[in-house]
Amino acid sequence: MSRFTTQPDGTLHGRFEPIEADLLRLATTQLLEMLDSGADDPSLAASDGIFGRLLPDAYRDDDDAAAEFRRFTATDLLDRKAQNAQVVLNSLGSSEADTDTPDSSPDDDSDDLQPLTISLDPDAVQAWLRSLTDLRLTLADRLQITPDGVVHLLGDNTPFLRELYEWLGMLQEELVYTIDV
Amino acid sequence: MTQTTEQTDLREDVSLDRPWVTLVWDDPVNLMSYVAYVFRSYFGVSPKQAERLMLQVHNNGRAVVATGNRESMERHVEAMHGYGLMATLAKADE
Repeated sequence: MSRFTTQPDGTLHGRFEPIEADLLRLATTQLLEMLDSGADDPSLAASDGIFGRLLPDAYRDDDDAAAEFRRFTATDLLDRKAQNAQVVLNSLGSSEADTDTPDSSPDDDSDDLQPLTISLDPDAVQAWLRSLTDLRLTLADRLQITPDGVVHLLGDNTPFLRELYEWLGMLQEELVYTIDV
Repeated sequence: MTQTTEQTDLREDVSLDRPWVTLVWDDPVNLMSYVAYVFRSYFGVSPKQAERLMLQVHNNGRAVVATGNRESMERHVEAMHGYGLMATLAKADE
């Protein structure tokens, strides 16, 4: 059975194990912090690395035009990416990203082990699709995935990050197949 | 393929009579199903056409997904970046 089901009113319901919801909250909170740091510091957003992938050059052979495009679009794109991430957090029932105590989790309650059912309207689905992509792009950057798809990061956390990366891809694919029958 | 190196201040004039294209490039992250979905939902192409474009990106490394004036190609590229796809614009004959 699919994780996502279409409701008669057009919304989607998604079912998550508590540990999955926690993981997605954590990853999305980190994404949001990173996007905010880019919004606060335009020079960061213009740099290589992950921002270079989230905001790629719009012109391959014209550095001036690429810089100008970035000047006009970077703020909006980062804003929208941050809004999308916030939508994901909101649908998961978390306000952690808004507080300055990110280590206090409302799910510490140990008897709260029921699967979580979230409801997504069409706008939220769009935010989810995009945010899952942004999450995968940032993870691919951390995993040092080269254009041939090979992971180059060698670390204790590589298997975990890789599994998370694959899982987010599955999640996105399930979402695409559910809305796109 | 030739490469033009014209002055920046000429570009606007040139754009009036020479079409531009939006290119989507292959990347190791985005899923084929998602890329095809983006082409369908954003450009409104048929599922078959979206699949064809997606496979072109996958197999050839890139595909032209739109043609038109520079301003609308910039809008498309910005939208593609919003979806997390690698997209650029260029003059049609480059």
